[in-house]
Parts: sequence; structure tokens; C-alpha cells
Amino acid sequence: MTAQALEQRELAVVIGLEVHVQLETATKIFCSCSTEPAEDEEPNTRVCPVCLGLPGALPVLNEAAVESAVKIGKALNADIAEDTRFHRKNYYYPDLPKNFQITQYDAPICADGTLEVSVEGTRRDIGITRAHLEEDPGSLQHKGGSIDTADYTLVNYNRAGTPLVEIVTEPDFRSPQETRAFLAKLEEVLEYLGVFDATRDGSLRIDANISLVPADEVDDDGSISDEALEAANRTEVKNISSHKGAEKALAYEVTRQKNAIKRGRAVEQETRHWDESRGITVSMRSKEEEKDYRYFREADLPPLQVAHWKEEIPIPELPDARRERFHTEYGIDEESASKLTSTKEVADFFEDVAAEFDADLAATWVADNLLGELNYRDMHITDVSDRLDEFTRLVELVDADEVTTKNAEEIVLREMLDEGKDPDTIVDEEGLGKADDDEIGGFVQEAIDENPDAVEDYHNGEGGALNFLVGQVMQKSKGSADPGTVNQLLRERLDE
Amino acid sequence: MSLNAFITKETLDGSDDGPLSGKTVAVKDNISTEGLRTTCGSAMLEDYVPPYDATVVELLKDAGATIVGKANMDEFGMGTTTETSAFGPTKNPVDESRVPGGSSGGSAAAVAAGEADLALGTDTGGSIRCPAAFCGVVGIKPTYGLVSRYGLVAYANSLEQIGPIAPTVEDAAALLDVIAGPDDRDGTTRDAGADSNYAAAADGDVEGLTIGVPTEFVEGADEGVEEAFWAALDELEAQGAEYREVSMPSVEKAVAAYYVIAMSEASSNLARFDGVRYGKSGGYDGNWNEAFARAREEGFGSEVKRRILLGTYALSAGYHDKYYAKAQDARAWVKQDFDEAFEDVDVVASPTMPVPPFELGESLDDPLQMYLADANTVPVNLANLPAISVPAGETDGLPVGLQLIGPKFGEETIVRAASAVEN
Repeated sequence: MTAQALEQRELAVVIGLEVHVQLETATKIFCSCSTEPAEDEEPNTRVCPVCLGLPGALPVLNEAAVESAVKIGKALNADIAEDTRFHRKNYYYPDLPKNFQITQYDAPICADGTLEVSVEGTRRDIGITRAHLEEDPGSLQHKGGSIDTADYTLVNYNRAGTPLVEIVTEPDFRSPQETRAFLAKLEEVLEYLGVFDATRDGSLRIDANISLVPADEVDDDGSISDEALEAANRTEVKNISSHKGAEKALAYEVTRQKNAIKRGRAVEQETRHWDESRGITVSMRSKEEEKDYRYFREADLPPLQVAHWKEEIPIPELPDARRERFHTEYGIDEESASKLTSTKEVADFFEDVAAEFDADLAATWVADNLLGELNYRDMHITDVSDRLDEFTRLVELVDADEVTTKNAEEIVLREMLDEGKDPDTIVDEEGLGKADDDEIGGFVQEAIDENPDAVEDYHNGEGGALNFLVGQVMQKSKGSADPGTVNQLLRERLDE
Repeated sequence: MSLNAFITKETLDGSDDGPLSGKTVAVKDNISTEGLRTTCGSAMLEDYVPPYDATVVELLKDAGATIVGKANMDEFGMGTTTETSAFGPTKNPVDESRVPGGSSGGSAAAVAAGEADLALGTDTGGSIRCPAAFCGVVGIKPTYGLVSRYGLVAYANSLEQIGPIAPTVEDAAALLDVIAGPDDRDGTTRDAGADSNYAAAADGDVEGLTIGVPTEFVEGADEGVEEAFWAALDELEAQGAEYREVSMPSVEKAVAAYYVIAMSEASSNLARFDGVRYGKSGGYDGNWNEAFARAREEGFGSEVKRRILLGTYALSAGYHDKYYAKAQDARAWVKQDFDEAFEDVDVVASPTMPVPPFELGESLDDPLQMYLADANTVPVNLANLPAISVPAGETDGLPVGLQLIGPKFGEETIVRAASAVEN
């Protein structure tokens, strides 16, 4: 540390994350209980001797969880360990059925990866230290108060044994915004891999380590010496459950730490709890009280050699690569390409539509019309994935000029989503089939016959009269006429 | 007078037909039995009734055996005499002033007294072989991974196996045939040995068998025990085997390594008994940690507390490398010594216990003395090997056991050799 006092120096933010991801496997990590909560599930019903930690029960590793971890490792450009094994993390807590957690310690399944994030056009690689498998504890309900003041606490082990991957980053984040961008990106990648369901409650849980270091200790490439990192006191913020929450909690923590330093107080090295409802972090325990977890090998689970799975287990094209390909292969602008790759399901849907039509038409219909209407209805692409044929038929009707774009957008698509009908039925019922020229000719004659004043105005050179008559014809055709054709036919008749 | 061999006496009938039909079996009380309380000899689990059967219990029932009760044991398997049981000591049927050995003392006493035809015990550091030797019956500690541990309440899970206790080698081997084999519910079980026929191996044919005798295992044994041991080896030699001395310097460290590892694992395995779901629960003032501490203070006996405290210490930051890590190194060394020995010999022999059965109450005040009595049995668990204890004469009217150790999954070899000792 230089002679200059910390409170007078420009400060830079240093953040590292530990992200717990619930894996979307059918069964729990060490038993065959389902990971999927039943509707209106009673507490402690989705359990067995293994996930309850009954005396004598033994864990048996779920291969699907290991496969998911290997996929995550591949997507994060991480190394998959030649030898990986499980340890026990020993601590007494009522949500732990065995009063230890089976996790990984000195040989995590994935290590040394990266994930690129982009904030306001600036791209940065965030280092991934490790990603390891572990079991989720049960959940606690504090009755009549918070964790400290409750009259009593209820334990529910339904969640116990859900497979988790804990992803630990390097202290590479330089702002709360970057953590949010990283978490959004990570979630996108995990969903593409099909190992994660963001809609599940508690599927993503985040702990963040944050400290402030003198800005002049940060090199141009964003790196910071280990000495500077060691010198700074950091806090660990727990109980963050979303990207937004991470940004808010860390922004709060940056301000809190800066204020402390400004007032010449040291930042306490401690664990803090993010209170989402109050928007503040509160102290949980100081570093001195930190636990000794007495890690040691879990002998009930034999070591694993799964490095070769990296070659054997395929992963899908990831969002960045797909975005880039949509841009180059289909010539789609970046904004649409981003929308179309927001989830794997949207991108797959688009590519199925684009296989049949011009890419621009497909992009407009999927990225703008469909996603817009779905979003308005709080629906997701997965709600219509099985209606690809109907949607393709709608685009085909437009492409073949059989329905006007306006009717297709405003009537057919909306009714498809609201009433679940197929496009041909809607076109029939609503009489939206494009009118032919004879039919339009009839409407034109009717409009002329019914509006002698307008005809006279037209002949007197009033431009608005023609537009009025076009509107009359369009009304009669219920929008099924092409306005250009109507315009041309009216002129021909009026000028005869 | 009752021997107090059983904690719970209740009959569970097996299927109508099977290799064990008509046989009665005592099951050590740390092996889970659905609907029948499983106490592990502890007040903590006095009222614990498992909702499921251990794999070996399912296998016993399928084989037609009739379970006649849950056998007494040292609390959670922590003892060499069955005196640490919360349900009182078991007496040795050979001499009721003596202990039956432990921790599977109830199982061995029941078989020796004819209260059961057969028994299941468990062996973490000698807990089958010691009581078999003290009660004059046969006990087999299988290779780690031969018998499923699913349903065995863990004491030290990297060391222990369930195994048979029986009046004869052939009966013990036949029971091993029933319980051996891989189990989807125990990831440490192996296919090796699944197709063996252990009972058929009890043919007494030791022609050409080479027996190694580690000097370290014989030195320091009680004089009468040593005499009986050498007499048994001479008898085997007369039947066509040959023996030679081998050296296994690592075994000097085995007892220390064993206790550090077993206690460390125990400190974790027994953590779940916190009064919330088991044991004396409720009514305590204070926070969770205080309530847990009270429940554990009341529910555990002093030997269990001693081992949990020492194990917690050995795993703690700053001591882990000094104790736990060193013990693992010693364990690897013991394995290596055995590997080397088995390059030259087929089986390794020793007295099972260096001493005859203790008097009741004699060893309770001196835990270290009790730990040292395990010197010949614990190396086998450290090396994951199979071993059998077979009666080999007497000293002052008390039984002496001969221990025969085999290479991994070499159960047929030790059964064959032990059956010759009975001849």
C-alpha cells in the first residue's frame, strides 16, 4: 500500500461470483426421487431413505447429473478432470439431512473455463475457476419471525438431493452491471444446453464476493495483482436469486463500502445477507466466526473418470455462435438475430420457418409478429412449438398473397393464439380470403352508386374524395381487397 | 441366566423356500430391518424403526432364513467387548464372566450358545473376527465391496463390511454365498466374486497352499494364544500347506491409522443424530446448536463421544494434515505391504486376537488397551481385504481364533484354508 490513504484514492470494484444452478435432471443426484415438485405438494413427500439421510442409506451417483456438468464444462470452455471425486462438507444445519453436504472439493469435475460477456459494446472474458457437482439441501420455513427470531422452524426435505452445479468465477467483474450481463448470458447458455429451467423457483442462487481496490492497482487489461486483492477486505453477499438482484445487491454494496472507506472506516471482512424486500445487505457473521467444514473424501461414491465424455457428449450450437450464423447465413440484422436466438426454442422455430420461406419474411414473422404477440399474452414459444405447421401455413398464405399482411397480423395470428384455431379455419370464418378482381369490381360499383357526392367531388378535383371511396370499398371487402387494386379500379371507372 | 445376546427378540419369517430355509439368523442391530427397531446399541436410536430393509436382510428373507432377533453390539460398533452397548453387556457363553468380544458380540454369542443357527455381524476393524475368536465360532470379514452396505448404519464407511458368523466354516461360507454380490444401491459393490461358490470351497484341501506369517502379528501375543496359533499352523503343514515368515513393517502404524480414519468418518456419519429426527428431542432451551448439543450429550455413550470428539479434531483445519492425511498415507502403506506379501504367499495367518477374552469390566477403564487389542484385525480393513477367524484350540479353557487373510476377493482361498483348520 502506498503512503496515500485509501480514502483519498480512486477505487475500482472487484467482484467474483459463486452461482448455484439446479440441474434439470429427471431424478435427484443420489436417489431416484423426482426433482420435479408435484402440484400442491405436501412437505416431505418427495423423499426416500437416501435423500432423507436415513441411517444406512447410501448415495448412488445419477449419471445424468454428471452429463449435465460435462455439458456445462464444454460450454464454458473448461477442462473436464481426468479424475474427479466427491467430498463431505461437514456442518450442522437443520436443512441438511445428514448434517453434511456431499460436494466436490479438491478435484472438481470442471476447471479453468471462460465466458464472454458484453456490456455496452465492450466484450470481456470472465474466467471460470471451477464448476462442481453437489446436492441441494432441504428448505426451512421460519414461523413467527425471521431466522433469528422465529418461534419455530419447519423443515421440508422435498428439495434435498436436487443436483446442483456450483460455478465459481475468477474475481474478474469490474462492475455490478457486468455481473448482471454475465448471469443473463450464463442462463441463456444453460437453457441452450437443456440442463436448466429458469422458470423453476430457486433454480439459480448466487453468492458474490466484492471488494474495492485502488483504481491505479488495476492494469489496462483489467487485471489486478494478487497482493492488491489480498490487501482489500471483502464481503461475501449471500441470498441473491436473480440477475437484477445481483446488480442491485452489488450496487448497494459498492456504495456501502465506498462510504465506509470515505469516512475512514475499514470494510469489515464478513458475510452479508441480501434482503431483497428492503433492498439492503445485512451482516450475518464476521470472518472470524467462519466455519471449518472438515472436508474429507466421500468413500460411498467411487472416483469418476469422465474426461472422455467431453468427446462423447454433444452440445448444441451456443447462442453467440448461432447469432453470428443467423447474421451471416440469413443476412439478418443484429437486433433480429438477437431476438431470434434468445432461446434455443425460438431459434429452432425460426430455422424451421426459414427453411420454407425467404429468410427476411421468416424473420419478420417470428421475431416481430409472433414473439410480439406471445409476449403481449405472457406466452412463450414453447406454448406454440407444436403448432409450427399452422404458423408456417399462415406465412404461406401471406407469401402467396391469399391473405393480406394486415389481416394475417391483426386477425388470423391473434385468433390462432387466443382461440387455438388453425389459420385456414379463421380465414374461412372471417371471410378473409383475398377478394378477386370481379368481386372488387362489384364493391367499386356499389361505392360509386352509393356516394354520388363523393363522385362529384372527385370530378371537381378534390383529392380526398378518391381516398374516401377507397375506404368504402375496403370496408365492403372487410380488408380482403388490395388497396392498390381498389385505387386503380376506382380511377378507371370514374374516369370512363 | 440370559446372555443378553439380543437387544430385540422378534421373529421375521423369510420366503418358504431357499438355501437358508429352516435356518435361524441373528442380525446385528446396526443392520436396518423394516418395521423392527434398529438401535445400533445406542439410546439415541432406542425408538428408531427403519422404514426399509437392508439389502442383506432382503437377501436373507429371499433365501428362506428366519430372523430371530436383533443382536447386541457395542454402541454404533465402537468397542471390542460389547460392553459399550446402551442395553447392557453380553456374556460370553463359553465363560459367562468373560466378554464375548465385539462389537458383534451379540451375534457371536447367539451362535455359540445355539440361540441362532447363524448370524450377521459387521466388521469395521475386527468386529466380526474378534467375537468369533472369543466365542469359539467362525466369522468372515469380506473384501470391501463384496457385500452391500445398503442399510448398514455407518460407523466408518470406508472400512466396514457385513459378514457371516457361524458354527462352521462351511455354514459361514454358505451364508456369505447368500449375501455377496453387487447392489445397485451401494456404489462401492463390485461384480468380482459374485459368481463364486464359497460353501463349495470349504473342502479342506490345502495341498500346496503357501501361508505367510508376519512376525509383527505374532510378537507380543499372549503365550497361550501363540502356542495355539503355532499348533494350528503345524496342523496345516501336516495337511500339505507350507508356511514362512514375512515382514510387514507398516502394521506398526495400523492401529493409529485405523483409529484416526474410523473416528474421523464416525464424526461425520453420526452427525445426523441431532435430536431433530432421532433420539431425545425437543424441550431444550436455546438455539439449534445448543439443542443439538444437548440431544447428543444425552443420546450418546462415552465411547461414542470420545470417538466423535477425536475424529472431529483429526479433521479440523490445522490438524487435518497432521492426523487424517497421515493416516491415509499409512493406509496406503499397509495396502502396499499386503500386495507385496501376496506376491509370495496365498494367505497371511495370525492369531485373530493377541489375547484371550477379557473379564467383564476389565477393559472399560482403559480404552487405549482395548484399541491395541485390535492390532491384528485392523490392517485387514485398512487394506480392504477378506479375512476369516476360525477356532484354533484353547488357552486355559478359553477359545483362540486363527485369522487367515486373503487377497482382494480371495474369499474362496481363505474359506478353503480355514476348513482345513477344522479337520
